[in-house]
This record gives sequence, structure tokens and C-alpha cells, in this order.
Amino acid sequence: MTVTIEPLHIQLQPYLLARKKFYQLLHLLFSMPANVDALFEIKKEVTFKELLGQLHEGGKILDDFFQHLNLEQIKREQQEFQRLFIGPGPLGAPPWESYYRSREQLLFEEWTYQIRERYHRFGLQYCKENNEPDDHLLLELEFMVYLSDLCLFATKDHRLDKLLATQISFLEEHLLIWIPYFCEKVIENTSSQLYLGAAMLLEDFLSFDLESLVEVREGLLLCLKNIH
Amino acid sequence: MSEKHPLTNMLANKMQRRTFLKWSGAIGLPVIAGGIGTKMLVERNKEAKAVSTKDNEKIISTCSVNNCGGRCVIKAHVKDGVVVRVSTDSQESGDLSTPPLRACVRGRNYRRMLYHPDRLKYPMKRVGKRGEGKFKRISWDEATRTIASEVKRIGDKYGPESRYDNYASGQCWGLHGGSASVRKLLSLTGGFLNYRNDYSSGAGNVATPFTYGTNNSGSSFDSLLHSKYIILWGQNPSEMIFSTPYREYLMQAKKNGARIIVIDPRYTDTAIVFADEWIPILPTTDNAMMDAMGYVIITENLQDQAFLDKYCLGFDGEHMPDGVAKVESLKSYLLGENDGTPKTPEWAEKICQIPANKIREIAREYAKTKPAALIQGWGPQRHAYGEQIMRGGAQLACLTGNVGKLGGWAAGTGYWNRSNIVFPFSYDNPVKASIPCFLWTKAVEMGTEMTAADGLEGTERLNTNIKLIFNMAGNMLINQHADINKTRKLLEDESKVEFIVVSDIFMTPSAKFADILLPGTTFFERYDIGIPWCFGDYVVFGEKTIEPLYECRDEYDVFAEVADKLGVKEKYTEGRTILDLVKESVERTRKELDATFPTFEDFRQKGVHHFKYDGPLVGFKEQIDDFENNRFETPSGKIELFSKTLWDMNQHDEIPAIAKYIPSWEGPEDPLKAQYPLQLISWHYKRRCHSTYDNQEWLEEAAKQEMWLNPKDADKRGIKNGDRVQVFNERGSLLIDVKVTPRITPGVAGIPQGAWYTPDTNGQDQRGSVNVLTSQRPTPLAKATPQLTNLVEVKKA
Repeated sequence: MTVTIEPLHIQLQPYLLARKKFYQLLHLLFSMPANVDALFEIKKEVTFKELLGQLHEGGKILDDFFQHLNLEQIKREQQEFQRLFIGPGPLGAPPWESYYRSREQLLFEEWTYQIRERYHRFGLQYCKENNEPDDHLLLELEFMVYLSDLCLFATKDHRLDKLLATQISFLEEHLLIWIPYFCEKVIENTSSQLYLGAAMLLEDFLSFDLESLVEVREGLLLCLKNIH
Repeated sequence: MSEKHPLTNMLANKMQRRTFLKWSGAIGLPVIAGGIGTKMLVERNKEAKAVSTKDNEKIISTCSVNNCGGRCVIKAHVKDGVVVRVSTDSQESGDLSTPPLRACVRGRNYRRMLYHPDRLKYPMKRVGKRGEGKFKRISWDEATRTIASEVKRIGDKYGPESRYDNYASGQCWGLHGGSASVRKLLSLTGGFLNYRNDYSSGAGNVATPFTYGTNNSGSSFDSLLHSKYIILWGQNPSEMIFSTPYREYLMQAKKNGARIIVIDPRYTDTAIVFADEWIPILPTTDNAMMDAMGYVIITENLQDQAFLDKYCLGFDGEHMPDGVAKVESLKSYLLGENDGTPKTPEWAEKICQIPANKIREIAREYAKTKPAALIQGWGPQRHAYGEQIMRGGAQLACLTGNVGKLGGWAAGTGYWNRSNIVFPFSYDNPVKASIPCFLWTKAVEMGTEMTAADGLEGTERLNTNIKLIFNMAGNMLINQHADINKTRKLLEDESKVEFIVVSDIFMTPSAKFADILLPGTTFFERYDIGIPWCFGDYVVFGEKTIEPLYECRDEYDVFAEVADKLGVKEKYTEGRTILDLVKESVERTRKELDATFPTFEDFRQKGVHHFKYDGPLVGFKEQIDDFENNRFETPSGKIELFSKTLWDMNQHDEIPAIAKYIPSWEGPEDPLKAQYPLQLISWHYKRRCHSTYDNQEWLEEAAKQEMWLNPKDADKRGIKNGDRVQVFNERGSLLIDVKVTPRITPGVAGIPQGAWYTPDTNGQDQRGSVNVLTSQRPTPLAKATPQLTNLVEVKKA
């Protein structure tokens, strides 16, 4: 077995960076499709089929969508985005955790608090705290981007381990509990390739990310044990 | 091997091959331009006190200001800026001078309303066809700029009479709110077309004063503790809250031994709880029963002749106004001396379906048991000839001499009021023209052709049709107005009304017709004072519990911004915030009306103020006790059982000078019954306040939207309990589940009013929104709504 001399956090850099970029991509896909440049950049640069073929259906649908991307299409997706996530009126897929977890399908339920506390622990808060719920999909994704970014700069193995553990629990206790229901609702309520693909990709990616985080962390702990 | 792939070394060995391979693609992901854009998670403000969410629950007392007749105390339990639950007034009952103001099932739902995911959250502008429901999110600046420029453009082009603030009652029982704000703005920029009257007691409001000179014909509810006999004629306070503590007094009256009769086509919750006897009646035929009761009373000489002689005009030939034949008197009419038809119980039975002997019994009991209170609800007067019903009830109260006496009741519209506060936010509209509120669609279609015969007042003719509509927290734009399909066509034509602004908290059927759609606040998110309908000796403090959610804003502030863009902000606000308005109201109430009214801080702390009195208010007591010095506010100064003013209108068939039974179009005697055999009524449902809360799931669980049909009518049509049926007439069609129940009179179908119009692609309503079936034909005198006068057929869907 090759024994590397590179520190573990350096070895993990490409993986950690890839995760961050992936969360950024998901964040972009579920943001208002107003950043036209970014969308065309994806069209140009990302081959979803190759990149994400392993993540089955979602990658293929998105690939097809981006291959045919044009301004007219973006306009249609903006309307669809508004219908699914903004309103007015009943939303196709309300993008808040507490909607899916509370018995009464309300916002600002206890899960909103739990999420808020997670942000606070990292010295963060939603800039619209108490004005809009803290457990919006985009905020939870932004939080994952933030945590994966912290990992990139964590030079201490224990610190890295702690960050990985935090992300694992955030996935296990929050995202992965409600996202499947959210994605189901998106898939039921849209015929947009963008949102069908994005929903499938989101759900698959999150479980895949959890799986890999657990594996990486196990590896990390093993290495640490060997070193000490 | 580490050169071959970046994720080798440790990872290659530790990760599953499958996981590893998946990642290999993602490594090549480009950096997204601009990352994730604007970051929403920011460094936490360290100043903010770190509070544990567990042990800092604050209880804040507040109040809803929707169009419920009562006002209840809502206690918001707030933790860390979030309302975690609501409770209500915990004061014990027993002291009837400070009755508890407890919330009903509707009030228990308020937290769900506040945090419902469907709340309107951002300002929107229409992008599709009007009514299609397609909107685009815009900034507040764009919204207020658009409103300002359209207010100006349409005002300049068509004149101020083209601008209209539609009847809306979603937040109308406070100090400010959308309509007040719009009217103030429009008043400061040229004015707007006024409306008069309301949809609730529209026929009564115009008719009762012809008898009594006023609509204040009621007495305070504590007077009922002295009643021996109470008739609730079409009144249903168990479901429709007239005043929060009303039922407390009714229950006490019952305990004191009053016999209570409920006359209603439905065996209502009120009948279940309070009634010794339920008298089912056919809709639109109330006056037949009233006439027959009058006949029994005078033929058996049970009338209070001294009362009639002293206080009333028109009872008999000896008391007629000058120039009118004796045979036009009430007595002559009842005895049939003029038309050859004595109004016997047998005559009435054929019309209203109540057995003649039962009519006799009720008439005798009512005339002999003193004091007796005949209290009229308003459902019966939302009929083709609703004016007659309100004057008919008053007529019976006068025949029995129950007017002006403790424990009696004068009937008629029945308002009463003795507790007031100052409303500091007012407007002065330079336009004097006004239309009856029910005729607004006519003023859109052919406003310039309307005349005094249509109830146009303040001008001979209008210079323009309505071109701009503000619809603030209301559903009258389509859902609650009669004949939805007709209104829909009118609104869809963008050349008629050119601009519509809607403000609301949910996407109501009316909101769909907005050109600019504004997200309003709930009562939790603003300061106010909640005032009950006229019948209440209490006001409730509306504390701002939390900051407005999302981008929701109070209309007062929205129109201050519009005013700013039109250069009249100072005149609009006079430098005052909403909180200033509330404080000013309290201070001025103390100074100008009632020195015992609490200070702002006391009121805020207690959350509620009960006005105290030495005894009950008895309607017309002054006139009855000292008639020489206190006359009625009628032309003759007497109670006008016969109104010369009405007589002189010379439309005796539809606007008689005495109250009479007039067979109703789409009533039980209309030949149209061959085609549409069922009379359709609606009622105020306990799960909604008008159409407010129709989208609230808890309340639908509490009382589902369903139509009541008698087993006899259901059997004829092969309909079983729970079946889905189609209800239709020439005006429209809807689908609804049926409750087959003997609790409704045979020949009558009942649909709870206020369900949100939900058309399928063919325009057939899927929710049971009753106004797809109702008519815009107004009542003859008041030009009021006849929305409970409809013939329909029902078949299995």
C-alpha cells in the first residue's frame, strides 16, 4: 500500500472542492433563472450526461435541457420557477423544510428554529431572520456550500473531521428527511425539464453526498488512528 | 498512481468504487460564475441577545378586524419572534357586564392563517390575460409607481367618478386598513365614486327607517334577560357571530325562562341550542306568515290598541295620513277589505307551508306573552322583496306593543349602539355622486346611463363608467357579488375596467383579477383597535405581535408611498404612523367621548375594554316613555306602519306603503319552478367569515363545504347522502357534495356562502361557490342584493 506523505486535508482538496461546486450548481439550478450568463456557461461547459450520467435520470434530463437552452426557454422557466416556488397562490412545491415536516404543513414551525440554531452555531444568520423562514431550500444549500468551503480551509484533521460530522448530521437530520418529499412534489407538479432534472439530481446527489461523506470520514478516522 | 487521478491515495482505498467513480465526473465541474450570487446567510449580529427558545414565551393580546360581528381576544404566544400558538380570552363567564370575548373555531385557526405557505408574499403584476392568474414578482417601488401613474392617468382622462373603491370587508372593523387608505388617497387627488349601503342588511337598511325613522331599532342584548318570549326570525347567532357575547345573554335569557322560537328554513345550530320550537318556512314567504300572524292578532283582538292609537300611523282607517283612503290601512289589508283576500292562516299555509294552526299558536303566544322580543336576522331580507320582511317584523312588534319596553324588541334592522371610540383617520371626498353598492357592475357597464331610479344620488348623471377599481381585502370583486359568470365576463374585458388593484393575504378568486396584486398583512403584523359591529359594549386592542412577514405591507403605508409619488404624502399621513393613529384614537376618545376610557398603556396591557352601563339600552324607550318630547324621526313623527313617502312613489305593487307579502320572482310561486323546482338559499357558515378562511384546511375539517337537501327532494332525484351533485340554473352551474338531511325544509336547497369560485375549463365551479347561481336583479326600493332568491335544479354529477 502506498503511504502518502501529503497531509490528509491536501489529499482531500479536490474532493472537497468538487462537493462545493456541486452544491453551488444545485443552488443555481433552484435559484430564479435570472442569471442568464451562468446558465449559458453551464450549457457551454458542463456535459451533464458524462458528468452525472451515474446519477441516472436527472443528469440525462438536464443534459437535454441545457443542450436546447435558449432565451425563450429561460423566460418560460422563470414563469415556472415563480409558479412552483414563489406564487402568488398555492405553490407547486413549497421550498421550506417545515412545510414537509410539520403535521399541519405550516411555515415557521420547530424545524425553522432548529435550522436557525445551526446557522447561529457557525456565527451566521439569515439576513431576513423572522421575516422569512430560515429553512428555505436555497438557504440550506447555501449553508452546505459554506460548510464545504470551511472544509477547504481546515488544516487541522480534527477540525476537518468535525466539519464533516456536522455536514453528515445536517444531511441526516434535515436535508435528506424533507428533500425527497419536496422533490416528489416538484416531479408531480411540473413538466419543466429543468425542474424535473434538478429535482432528481438534488435528491440523488444528497444521498450520494452523505454516502461519500461517511466513507471519507471513516477513511479519515482510520488514517488518523494509523498516524497516532 | 496519484498523478493519474487526484482522488487516489487514501481515498481510492477507502471509498467504495461506485462512489469513487461517481465523483470522478463531478471533479470536472466548472466554477459557477459569481458563485451563489448574493449571500443570504450573513455574519450574525452579536448584539442580538442570545435567547433560549424554550423559556422566553411572551403572551401578546391582539384582535382580528375581519367582517365578523364580534371581536374576540386572540392571545399570541410568541417565542423568539415567532407565534408558536394562540389562545383566547381566559376570563371566566358569569359577570354579564364583562362577558368573556372568546374565539370560536375560526379564531383558533389564526396561527395557521399567519404561517400558511400560501400567503401572498411579494408584490406582483399581471402578465397573462386578466383573470388568468399569471403574475410576475415586482418591487414595491414598481408597484407603487404603477398605481400612482394609473390613478393619475385614469383620473385625468375620465374624471374622478371613474375611480372606485369596491365594497370589501376583510379588514374593515379597525381604525385604518385598505379601503380607508385608498379613499384618503383618492380624496386628496380629486375624489372617487362613492357607494352606499351594504350587502348584509341592504334591503333592511333602507326599509326600516320608513317605519321607525332609523335602523337603530334594537336593544342591548342584556335586555333579553327580561324577555319572556323570543322569536329569532331567520337569525342564527350560533354560526354567524353578531356579537361575541350575544349567545351568553341568550343562554341566560333561556335560563330565566324565556320561550325561544326559531323560524328558519334550516334547523340551524341556533335552533338546536336555544329553540323550544323550530318553525321551518319556505324562503321569500316570511311576509305571508307575518301577515297571517297580524290577521290572527287583530281578529282575536290581541293587539295593543292603545299603543297603535298613540304611536303609529296607518294601522286602521282612523289613523291614515291625509289624502289616503281608509281602505289602504294595515288592518284593511290584513282583513282583505281592499283586495278581497283576508290574510288568514289558511291563506298563508298555502304559501309558506307552515300549518295554519301553528301560525295561530305562534301569533297568540307572541301577542299574549309580554314582554316578547321578535328579533330579525338578515338572511330573510336578502331576498327579491327583502324590504317587506324587515318592515313586516316591525309591524308585528307594533301590533303587540313590544316597542320601547324592556324585554321587548322593535324588530326591523335592529342595530343598537351606545359605545364608541374616535376614528382619527378620515377622508373628505370632493365627489358627491354615489351608487348603491350592489350596482357597481352596472356602473362599470353603463354608469353614464344610471339615474335616480337606479339609486344614483348626489348627481343627475355620471360623467363616466367605472374605469379603475381598488379591491382591498375583499372578495366582492367576483366571489361574493351575485352572478359570478356575468361579473367575470365584465372584468375580463380589459377595455371596461382599465386597472384593478387588489391587496389581500391569500390568492382569492378576486385577487386573480388584479392587475397589480399587493401582499397585505394579517392583524398579527400591525397595530389596530378592533371594534365589534354596532352591537357591543367592548373594544379590543390589536397589538402588533410580529413584524410583517415576507414583503407584506400595511395598506396605510403602501398608499402613503403612492401619496408621496403624487405629492400629497403630508396631507395623507399628517405625519402619523399607524401606531400614532391608535394612540390618537385612545387619547381623543378619553377627551371627547368618555373620560373613563383607559389610557393607551392601560388599554394595551388589559387588551380589552368593556364599557359599563347602569342598565340595558332599550330601543325607542325615550319615544315611548315621553312621546310629547321625543318623536320618531319619520315625516309624521310617528311609527309609520303606513309610509306616505312610499305611497307617493306610486309603485304600489313592488313598493307598497305597508309591509305586504309580495310573491317573489324565483320564489315558490314563480312558473320557472317547473324547470328549476328547488329554492336555493345560502347561509353564513361557521367555518368561514363570509369568504375569509375558505382555504384553511382545519376549518374545512370542522365543517365541510356541502349542500343541504331534504330526503324527499333527494329521493326524487336518486341522490344519496354524500353524493356529488350538479346544481344549476340559467346563470351557472356548480358541483358539490350533498348532505341529505331533514334539517332543511323540503323544496329548499342550502349551500353555505363564501366558498372560493373554482371553475374548471368549462367554467363549471368545483367548490360550491353559490354565487355562480345568484342574480344581479336588485330589490325594488333599496337596490339591494337578492342573493338568497334563486331557483335551481339538482342532479347527480
